[in-house]
Amino acid sequence: MTSATEPVEVTTDPTYGELVWSQFRKRGLAMASLFGVLFLVAVAVYAPLFVSDKPFIWVTAEGAQSPWLGSLFDRNFFESTLDIFFNVLMVTSLATVPIVAATYWMSRNLGRHGRKKWRSRGLLAAIAIILVVFSAVTVFPTKNPKVVYDRVEQSLIDKGEEVTAVYPVLPYSFRKVNVRETLEPISLRHPLGTDKAGRDVAARMIYGTRISLTIGVFAVAIYITVGIIVGGIAGFYGGRVDVAIQRLIEIVMCIPSFFLILTVAAFIPDRSIFHIMFIIAAVRWTGPARLVRAEFLRLRKLDFVAAAEAAGYRTPWIIFREILPNAIGPVLVSATFGVASAILLESSISFLGLGDITVPSWGQILAAGRTTGNWILILAPGFAIFITVSLLNLMGEGFRDALDPKMRK
Amino acid sequence: MLQYTFKRLLLTIPTFFAITLIIFLVLNIAPGRPGATGGADQGESTTGQEAQESYRIFKEQFNLDKPILLNFRYLTTEQDVRAWLTTAYGLEGEPKAAEKIVAKDNLDDYGNVIVPHLIALLDDTDAEVARQAARHLTMAGKLRFAKGDSEEVRQENKDIQAYNMAIAGWTYKADADAATIQEAKERWKAWYGENEAKYQLSTGGVAYTTFFDTRFANYWWNLINLDFGVSTVDRTPVLDNVLAKMRYTIILSTLSILIAYFLAIPIGIFSAVRQGTPEDSVVTVLLFIGYSLPTFFTGTVLLQLLSTGDPVAWFPTGNFNSLDYESLTTLEQVGDVAWHLVLPLATYTSVSLAALSRYARTGVIDVIRSDYIRTARAKGLSEFVVIMKLAVRNGMIPVLTLLGGLLPSLIAGSVIIEVIFNIPGMGRLLFDSINLRDYNTVMALLMASSGLALIGILISDLSYAFADPRISFD
Repeated sequence: MTSATEPVEVTTDPTYGELVWSQFRKRGLAMASLFGVLFLVAVAVYAPLFVSDKPFIWVTAEGAQSPWLGSLFDRNFFESTLDIFFNVLMVTSLATVPIVAATYWMSRNLGRHGRKKWRSRGLLAAIAIILVVFSAVTVFPTKNPKVVYDRVEQSLIDKGEEVTAVYPVLPYSFRKVNVRETLEPISLRHPLGTDKAGRDVAARMIYGTRISLTIGVFAVAIYITVGIIVGGIAGFYGGRVDVAIQRLIEIVMCIPSFFLILTVAAFIPDRSIFHIMFIIAAVRWTGPARLVRAEFLRLRKLDFVAAAEAAGYRTPWIIFREILPNAIGPVLVSATFGVASAILLESSISFLGLGDITVPSWGQILAAGRTTGNWILILAPGFAIFITVSLLNLMGEGFRDALDPKMRK
Repeated sequence: MLQYTFKRLLLTIPTFFAITLIIFLVLNIAPGRPGATGGADQGESTTGQEAQESYRIFKEQFNLDKPILLNFRYLTTEQDVRAWLTTAYGLEGEPKAAEKIVAKDNLDDYGNVIVPHLIALLDDTDAEVARQAARHLTMAGKLRFAKGDSEEVRQENKDIQAYNMAIAGWTYKADADAATIQEAKERWKAWYGENEAKYQLSTGGVAYTTFFDTRFANYWWNLINLDFGVSTVDRTPVLDNVLAKMRYTIILSTLSILIAYFLAIPIGIFSAVRQGTPEDSVVTVLLFIGYSLPTFFTGTVLLQLLSTGDPVAWFPTGNFNSLDYESLTTLEQVGDVAWHLVLPLATYTSVSLAALSRYARTGVIDVIRSDYIRTARAKGLSEFVVIMKLAVRNGMIPVLTLLGGLLPSLIAGSVIIEVIFNIPGMGRLLFDSINLRDYNTVMALLMASSGLALIGILISDLSYAFADPRISFD
């Protein structure tokens, strides 16, 4: 809540977020895992920089162009909306990262309110840029003709023409089948070998990061939102509403969720990763709902809520702007663990062949490894899942300790 | 305590009912029609007609022709039926294929309800509508066969068959002469005059139809009679199949729980007593790794490493027992099963072991810090007695109460383990059934696993109440 006349502050008393961050920073393992997670996010976002069969630079007698740049928002090349979204993140990061960094840096000497204001403005600006660019490339999709550049290059060289082409480190598409190079061992050409269809495993693994992280983050975002609303209503109103919602939560918790997830996933025709996200969210919302309900029941009785009510604020305002910020800590901790478990769940579903079969999910690669008995196909995705899940769990533990006043260092 | 148990048990019944309702709705609303791939050829040829008829019988057999939850079909009007007829046979403009299928399904499924409307439509101004109405009367007017196997039932069914055959002939071709058409129509009207009472619903009948002439009510009625139906794939009774498979899953998960507890408690005590030492750190890290390793990864690696023969083949590649199991002596049989279960159990136990040990460690550490332990040490009791008699006993209460909660999660994990190690249990059956769209089996498996989950949660709640006398049911 901000008052009309903003207080001028000279002291740098920390905001709640900064307090938690300063605690978190003191934990070495937690910080290391945070960097690990950031690295994974970077791999997902900048995947085309390392893996793409389109050359960055393509110079022939006809002139110079960059097919790589043209392919980023090309619906014929990146078929899934998910990849387009990550490419938008990559391109806009040229603007968004400096903006966020600049607002943080410039506001560092301001007072508490000034810091909060500028930082949230910076974040909002970044999100706005991403959304604008994303909606632009969604509304006006580009479709370029399909060109296999390495073959064109070869034929031009055979004709004696001069070609200069600069490719990314791994000049493959995660989708392109190559029947002449099936189940290749590890080599310089293929750092992790190839699979049964001759697709480069390293390329698939790197693009698989996008799938896992998206499913983890979005599924959790969906069910946390549902959980906050349902749990908030139960905790705020209490009484009969609370009893009814609690009964519902108990019933949903008794449903064998993994069995149900598999069944529903199998019955959806042409399922996409968005279906999988919604199915995961549909059975997992009860956890945060219970957490939020308990927090709301506790906070509801405190004086600041009574004060807000006396001041005449409307109920949604009180729920979302007064109580929720005070209840959000434990929810965010459980969200971190939730991302890890959603990633695990998605890879289990894909492992059983009930996921989105058009995307290079880690679980799917592992399933291919099981059927072919190829060690690289088993170990690479297995360790990727293991490391991602471990990093998120370690980060969650650090986060939990940082929020706990008893553990303050 | 007894009262608490009783109330808690009583509460399980509505919960189970609600769960079956949710599962039932999800399965019935889910896209894709059971058996449709096998018989619903929508052609107009003779084989198409036969296929359509067999699909209709199939739907009847599994109650799929009934509405899911509430039946309001008696509200159908003559206009509705006429619209379906015109859509199904493309009499007015060319409808979309999907609309055609829906209209045909409705004409099939509504059965008795539309008989009066079809009779009225015999006099429709459009000759083709009237002809198709007569054709649909032959299906809607059919009697259903009685269920049973006695001599009388068989005789009754023979009569029904003859009757159905007779009315099936009361149709006419599009180019039939006026007299034939008139005769067929007269026959139907006379028939309706005799049977009219059957097609009029009383007030009680309306209430009954609304709530009980539905898929869900029929399913529940069968459930109460412990009839889970037959598999839509191979027509074997579902219950026998599920019970037979459940044996393997229960054996596997019970053994896994036992092993997990046997190992987790000593590990937890060990690392709690040595809290902060390098040994404790090593154990903690190992447990963390065990906790984060996905079971499908551990399982695949163990199988690949130890049973494919590359590098070694110490264990069988799957299944619950050997092919020559029957010919072995009892001792050898036990050995054979144990040999087959080493890898699945190792995989199965790894995750629950890690979780349990962590709980055991925290439990003991919490107790060690408490005042009465300090008192016990101060009065000179040996460290062994302090830890084993005082700390462990109290520290293990939270771990023991976890027991109930483990069962549902192990049942859930059974799919992956059983698919990897090819064990013919519940999880494997579920995996196969959902791929074959075997609705009855899937439904029965979901019910069985939610039943087991409810039992697990019940045990867990009761053990809480048992361990902590403060918990009561208000």
